[in-house]
Amino acid sequence: MSNDSLDPRVNRLKLGEAGEVVKVEEGENWNIYEVFHQEKRGAHHEHVGCVHAPDPQLALVFAKEQFARRKKCVNLWVVKSADILAFDVEDEDMFANNMEKTYRDASGFKVMEKINKFKQSK
Amino acid sequence: MINSAALTDLIIKMADDELIQGHRNSEWTGLGPVMEEDIAFSSMAQDKIGHAWALYRILYEDLGGRHPDAFAFLRPEKEFKSSHLVEMPNGEYDFSLMRHFLFDQAEAIRYESLQDSSYEPLRLLSKKVKGELKYHTLHANAWIMQLSQAGEESYNRMQQALNYAFALAAGIFEPSQEYEEVLIADKVYPGEKVLYQRWLDRVYPVLVKASLNLPEISDIVPVYGGRQGIHTPYLQPLLKEMSEVFNLDTEASW
Amino acid sequence: MYGGGYIFDEPNRNQLREEQQHDEPEKLAAFEARIANGEKIEPGDWMPAEYRRQLIRLIEQHAHSEIIGALPEGTWITRAPGFKRKLALIAKVQDEIGHGQLLYNAAETLGKSREAMINDLLSGKSKYSNVFNYPAETWADVAVIGFLIDAAAIVNQVANAKGSYGPYCRALERICYEESFHLKQGHDAFIELATGTPAQKQMLQDALNRWWQPIMHFFGPPDKSSSHSEKLMQWKVKMASNDDMRNQFLESYVPKIWELGLTLPDPVLRKNTATGRWEYSDPDWDEFFRVINGGGPCNMERLQVRKWAEERGRWVRKALMKPMEKRVLPVA
Repeated sequence: MSNDSLDPRVNRLKLGEAGEVVKVEEGENWNIYEVFHQEKRGAHHEHVGCVHAPDPQLALVFAKEQFARRKKCVNLWVVKSADILAFDVEDEDMFANNMEKTYRDASGFKVMEKINKFKQSK
Repeated sequence: MINSAALTDLIIKMADDELIQGHRNSEWTGLGPVMEEDIAFSSMAQDKIGHAWALYRILYEDLGGRHPDAFAFLRPEKEFKSSHLVEMPNGEYDFSLMRHFLFDQAEAIRYESLQDSSYEPLRLLSKKVKGELKYHTLHANAWIMQLSQAGEESYNRMQQALNYAFALAAGIFEPSQEYEEVLIADKVYPGEKVLYQRWLDRVYPVLVKASLNLPEISDIVPVYGGRQGIHTPYLQPLLKEMSEVFNLDTEASW
Repeated sequence: MYGGGYIFDEPNRNQLREEQQHDEPEKLAAFEARIANGEKIEPGDWMPAEYRRQLIRLIEQHAHSEIIGALPEGTWITRAPGFKRKLALIAKVQDEIGHGQLLYNAAETLGKSREAMINDLLSGKSKYSNVFNYPAETWADVAVIGFLIDAAAIVNQVANAKGSYGPYCRALERICYEESFHLKQGHDAFIELATGTPAQKQMLQDALNRWWQPIMHFFGPPDKSSSHSEKLMQWKVKMASNDDMRNQFLESYVPKIWELGLTLPDPVLRKNTATGRWEYSDPDWDEFFRVINGGGPCNMERLQVRKWAEERGRWVRKALMKPMEKRVLPVA
């Protein structure tokens, strides 16, 4: 019965032959779910990684221990990776703000300048 | 004043169950069926051992018991009060999951009943472990439901595991021959008979939903003995292994 | 815990070198400029075939090292003395599996599935850190592994966390955070034995003597004989040389061993105050390659146990498999 291991746990297993071929089938580790973690009430859920799971219920069960066993957490979301729609990385240039669009930013409005000018003019 | 011998008896059997069950479950750590489940199952093993530790500390700090490490690691087998269910070797994952389901539901019910206990340390502990047990039973229910509805092999495995484990699990509720009435009268907890009934009410609907065939309640012969120090042949080797290092020098600090 | 410094390479490198020649020069220039600029590469980015291949190899081997690394310490899970050690050891081995999970996910973003990686581990095609092919003979081995091997891994991982591939860096950030717990609990167990009874101290010294060579091996062969190219450094796949990491480890940890009155089995080990570098006897590198190629004391057992776990878990995984469901790789 003994496998001559130093590990008593291993000695209780019925190990296969040394050269035994063991192969895992593609898809056997199920689907992939992205995990979003909320650290405290009022905070955004943030992406922290993913889990392999057969369905959303077990994905959530797994996510809890893989992503919240240490770090503070009040809630988790899981969503199938396949359901995430993202921009292509090549489309990063769409996000470039190199045109004159200062009207969208607070810094585009020089209120103090106008107030000071007004005060000086008095 | 609550009868402290009765309290000690109750706490030892609860703690021993949790220690041995947690120890058994930790044998899966690193060897589970898929990494995510390995992690979850290991956390719950730690929780159980942690509960046992907390209970032994109550004995030590409040009831004149020995230091938790010495009490857990050096006690002779016949002084253990663990149920036969938790002593059984892990076998395959079907049995481990079914045992986890039956055991954790029992544990959840026991701690729920302790929320109204007249004994404050148990009342406080029951509030502390509430969230953990909620996760354990959520995890167990999800697995039982899913594997029982996932094809013939998986269904058969779960059914066989249930057939094998049920009477053993019913043995968790072995009443104390000496202290049962005292503990009920002192309002420490409602007694094993009540807990057994509540447990059946809790596990049956899940098993029905999972389409598993249930044993006829009147046919169940609970496996008793553990609470009186009569154990399966599996406990002694487990204890010997568990205390192997500790026993190298029982006076040393490890 | 454990990305060893040494990345085992398969022999068919030339073939892939050729593939790389088809990489487009402008894209390559933009890619390299991004890295030089300190930016991270993300999964959807264009990357040279060789970069992808090297990263998969690196991260995959790191992941394998975690799940195989769970086994030597797992040897003592059922025997850890006392509640605190028992719980800490289970939690630590659990973390190794957790790290494996994070790393396999990071590698998957590069296009190789977890299943394919597991298969390459089981068939022996893909390697893991050599250090786990040695047995954990006594409880003191757990203390030595938890303290010193984790410390060595941290040196390596902190360096790699500054690398260029986003998903790997993010995984390492989380891993390094947990390693600080491992190191602390390892150090604590180590000190407990070092300051304990004479028998405890002897047990620790024996373990230290046995593990010293595998630890020196951990960072890989000396720089002078290492074939890894400047390219990997330029691409920020490899972040520090083997000798530099080994030196950094010795600098930080040898004093912590010596201060406890323990010795190390290397008579020439000392810090050269003139150069600021540590001097040591060359460990037996033939042994290192012998073990990599399957000749270590535990290679066979480690793989057999992993195969057992995959085989025994198969019915659970298969029962809940949904082959028709759309499956994509992790997004980040």
